[in-house]
Amino acid sequence: MKHLHLLYTLLFGVAVLLFFGLAYPHHLHYQEQYQLFLFDSTYVWDIVKVPGGVADLLGRFCTQFFLFAWVGAFIIAVLLSVVQLFVFRLFNGQWSMVNGQWFYGMTFVPSFLLWLFLLDENALLGGVWAVLLTLLAIWGCMLIPKGWVRRVAILIAIAILYWMALGGSHYHRYPTVTPYLLYAAWLSAVILILSEKVIVKSEKFAAANRTSDVFVRRQHCVPHSHLQVREIIRFSLLTVTFIIMMMIVWKNANFKAEKVMQYDFMACHQQWNRILATANAEKPNNQIGVTVQNLALAMHGMLADHLFEYNQNGLLGLLPDVQSDATSPIPTAEAFYQLGMINVAQRTVFEAQEAILDFQKSARCYKRLAQTNLINGSYEVARKYLTALQKTLFYREWANETLSLLGNEEAIAKHPEYGRLRQWAYKDEFYFSDHVTPEMLESLYFSNTDNRLALEYLRAYYMLTGDRESYTKLLQELRVKN
Amino acid sequence: MKQVLYILITLMLFVSCDETVSDAKQENVQPQIYPDYLGVTIPVNIAPLNFCMADEKALLVDAVVSDRHGHSLHSQGKESVDFDLDDWHTLLGQNPGDSLSVTVSAKFDDGWHTYSPFSIYVSPDSIDYGICYRLIEPGYEVWSKMGIYERNLSTFDECALIENTQFQGCVNCHSFNRGNPADMSLHIRGPHGATLLRQDYGPVTAYNTKTDQTLGLCVYPYWHPSGHYIAYSTNTTRQLFHSAHPNRIEVFDEASDLQVYDVEKNELLLSPLLKQDSIYETYPVFSANGRSLYFCAARALPEGSHELDSIRYNLCRIDFDPTTGTFGDQIETIIDAVAQMKSVSFPRPSYDGRFLCYTLSDYGQFSIWHHEADLYLLDLSTGQSLPMTGANSEDTESFHNWSTNSRWLVLSSRRDDGLYTRPYFCHVDAKGIVSKAFMLPQRNPRRFYRERFFSFNVPDFITGPTRFDSHQASRVINDDYRKDFAVRYFK
Repeated sequence: MKHLHLLYTLLFGVAVLLFFGLAYPHHLHYQEQYQLFLFDSTYVWDIVKVPGGVADLLGRFCTQFFLFAWVGAFIIAVLLSVVQLFVFRLFNGQWSMVNGQWFYGMTFVPSFLLWLFLLDENALLGGVWAVLLTLLAIWGCMLIPKGWVRRVAILIAIAILYWMALGGSHYHRYPTVTPYLLYAAWLSAVILILSEKVIVKSEKFAAANRTSDVFVRRQHCVPHSHLQVREIIRFSLLTVTFIIMMMIVWKNANFKAEKVMQYDFMACHQQWNRILATANAEKPNNQIGVTVQNLALAMHGMLADHLFEYNQNGLLGLLPDVQSDATSPIPTAEAFYQLGMINVAQRTVFEAQEAILDFQKSARCYKRLAQTNLINGSYEVARKYLTALQKTLFYREWANETLSLLGNEEAIAKHPEYGRLRQWAYKDEFYFSDHVTPEMLESLYFSNTDNRLALEYLRAYYMLTGDRESYTKLLQELRVKN
Repeated sequence: MKQVLYILITLMLFVSCDETVSDAKQENVQPQIYPDYLGVTIPVNIAPLNFCMADEKALLVDAVVSDRHGHSLHSQGKESVDFDLDDWHTLLGQNPGDSLSVTVSAKFDDGWHTYSPFSIYVSPDSIDYGICYRLIEPGYEVWSKMGIYERNLSTFDECALIENTQFQGCVNCHSFNRGNPADMSLHIRGPHGATLLRQDYGPVTAYNTKTDQTLGLCVYPYWHPSGHYIAYSTNTTRQLFHSAHPNRIEVFDEASDLQVYDVEKNELLLSPLLKQDSIYETYPVFSANGRSLYFCAARALPEGSHELDSIRYNLCRIDFDPTTGTFGDQIETIIDAVAQMKSVSFPRPSYDGRFLCYTLSDYGQFSIWHHEADLYLLDLSTGQSLPMTGANSEDTESFHNWSTNSRWLVLSSRRDDGLYTRPYFCHVDAKGIVSKAFMLPQRNPRRFYRERFFSFNVPDFITGPTRFDSHQASRVINDDYRKDFAVRYFK
C-alpha cells in the first residue's frame, strides 16, 4: 500500500495515453507538421540562446516524435505523469496520502491543467517542459541541506531557471495568445509545494498532523474490515475525481478540429481509400474535409460522376482561393500538386509555411518545396531544402533518396510521381493570382490528355458553378477528340 | 598519472595539428572553389576570403596564400579553410596594389591533389565599414521572421538593427545618406505601419507618409547629399504569378508617382511632371551634386490590361534646386531602354558623379525576379552605357549601391542557386573598368549560405556601426502616434 500512489499515477498516465492515442492523434500530427527539428548546432544554439530556450528546445525535440501519434501520446503521458509525481514528492507525498484524498488529489491538478492546455492545437510542448524544469529545480534545491548554501543555490537556480524555462513566452504558437492554462498549471504546482511547506510547519497543522499520526498508529488497532471500507471509499473518491477530470477534458477537446486534421493528415499521406471510407462513414462538413474528399474522389476518377453524392461547398470545397494562413492552404496545395499545377502548389506551400505564426518551419512544407523545385529543375534550391531535411530524424532517409535524383533527368523521367507531374506541368504561359479559373484547368488537360485528374476537376468546376454551356461545350470537345 | 597527462598532451597536439600535404598529385588546372574567388579584386580591409572545394567529396582543403615579399598564410580545414583574421589583415595590409597567390590542395579518397595557383588582387581602395541589409525569405505576400541587419566587412560579425519579433509587421527599405548611418529612413508595414526617420543619431520618429494628395505611402527612399531632402516614390503595387515561366512572379505597379520630402519643413514636395497618370514613375535618386533627380519612367498600361511584358522603363532626369526645393520644367530621357526593348530599374549614381549603375531587364521594374537582369554602367561624362560583364552572371543581378569612395559596388545576385539573393562586391576603377565580383565572405561559406534560408535584400554600405536603438524604435512603432506629412504642390 506504500506505493499505491504509483498505481494512481499509472492510471492517470494510461488515461492520457489513450486519450491522445485514440481520440486526439491528429492534433499530434498537426503539431509535428508545423515544426522542423534539426540535429544541427546552429539550430540548437538559436533556440537555447534566448530565455526559455531550453524548455522550448526540449518541447520541439519531443514534438518531432508526434509524427507517430502513439509515440507522441506516450511522451505526453510520461511528461504529465512525471509532473504529477514531482508535485506529489515535493508536496510531501506520504503526508498528503495520510491526510486524505483531498490533498493527494491536489497533486494531480498541475498535470490535469497541462492536459487541458495541450488540448489546444497551438499549445506547445515546451510549456510542459517549462513546468517540469521548474519542479526539477525546486527538487534539486530541496536536496541541499537547509542553511545559507541552500539559499544561495535557490538564487542561482532562479537565474538558471529563468534562462532555461521561465523567460520565454514561446509556449503558444499565437504570439498574442496568453496561455492561461499553462500559467495556472505552473502556479498551482508552485503554490501547492509552497503551501505544503507553510501548512505543515504551522502549529495548527502540526497539531493536526500529530493527531493524524495518532490516527495512523490507531489504524493498526482498527478492525481490518473498517480499513477495507476506508480504502474502498478512498478509491471510489479518486475514481469519481478521475471521471470528472475526463469529462472536463472531453468537453474541452476540439473534436471538430480533430476531424479536419484527420482529413489533412490523410491527404498528406495520400491515403485516398481511407479518405473515401471516412467520408462515406460521415460526410465532412468543413472546407478542408470537402477539399480532401474531392481530391480523393478525383484520384479515383469518381469526382465528376459522384460529385453530388457528397457534401459540397461550391468552389470553396474544390479548389478554394489561397488564404494567408498556415493551415487552410495546405490541402488545397496538395490538390494543385497532384493536378500538375506545380508553380501554384509551390507558391501556396511557400506562403503557408511563411504564415506559421511562431516563425517555425515545416518538414511537410520543406518536402513539398523540394519536390516542386525538383520537378521544375531548380536543383540547387531543392538541394537546399533536402540538405536541411537530412538533419532531421524521420525525413533523413527520404531526403537522401531524393538528393540522388537531383540532376538525374533520366531517373526523374522514370519516377512514377515526379516524371508524371513533370509531364503534366503547364507548358502554356499565363498569369494567375489567388483564384483558380476553368481556363487554368482546361490548359492543364488539353496540353496533356493523360491528365484525367484535370478533366475531373474541370467537369466538377462547371457542375459546381452551374455553367451548363461550358460543360456541354467541353463534352462536345471531348467527343470530337475521341 | 604522468603517463595520462603525456597521452592527453600528445592527443591535444595531434588534434590541433594540420595534416601535411604529401605525395600530392599536381593538377594543371586551377581549383574549383566555392565561392569563386579566382582572380578577384578585393579591398585591403575585407574579411578573410574563406572558401570550400566546389566538389563536396573533398575530405580536406588546404590553402597557402603568399605574396612577393615572402610572407604567407596557411589554413587547412575539413569543409572550409578558415584564415586567421589578424594574420589575414596583416598580409593584405602588406600588399595594397599587389597580387596574392593562392595555392590550393584538396584531399580526396585517392589522396592529395595540388592545383595551379590563382591570384587575388588587393586594391588599395578600401571599402566602407560594413553593409546593411534586410534578411527575408524570398516569398511573395506573406512573411515570416525578418529583420534589418548590419555586417562588419572586415570581420564576420553580424547584428540585428531591428527584427519583426519586436512588433507585428514587416520592415523594409532602409536607407542612409551616402552610407552615413547617422541619417536613416526605414519603412514599417502592417498593422503598425510607419516610416521611421532618424537624423544625426537622434531618436527615431514615426511618420504617416500617406497624404490626401498622394497615391499612398512613401516607398523607395533616397537621401539628398545635403541631408535636407529624401526622394520617395509612391506605388500601387500588385503581384501575379507565372504558370510556366522560369521567373516565378511578376511584381508590377498599377500606378506610381514621385515626391521629395523636405526633412526640415516636414513637407512633401510634389510636381505635376512627376505624378502623371499616363506614366509610371519610380526609383528616384539624386545626382551626386544634388541638382538632378534621376528616376525610371514607363508608359502606363490601359486599365485592366495584363500585358506586363510591355511595361518598359526608361531612365529619366529632372532638375532639382536644393536651395528652393523646386523641380525643373522638363524631363530628359537619359537612357531610352524602350527603344532596345529593355527596361531600366534601380539607377544608382556614384557619389563622385562619374558613373551611374542600373539594372537592365526585359521588362518591368522589379528585376530581382528576372533571371535575365544584368547590371550596366553609364559613364555620365560620355553618356556611354556598357554591361558590367565582370560583375554579371547567367542569373539575376539586381539591386546595388556604391561605396562612399565610389570604387566599390555591392550588388544583389541570385547566381548561387537561382532563388536566394546574395551580396557580391566588385571594384570599379576611375576608367570604369569593372572587376570580377566576389561573394560576401563568411567563416564557412558553404555551410552559411546553404543553411541560411534568407535573401539579402537591399544591401547598402554604411561608414560605421548604425548604433540603432531597436528598443526605442520598437516602442515608437508599437505606439499609435504618427506624425503627418504636410504637402507643397508646385503647379
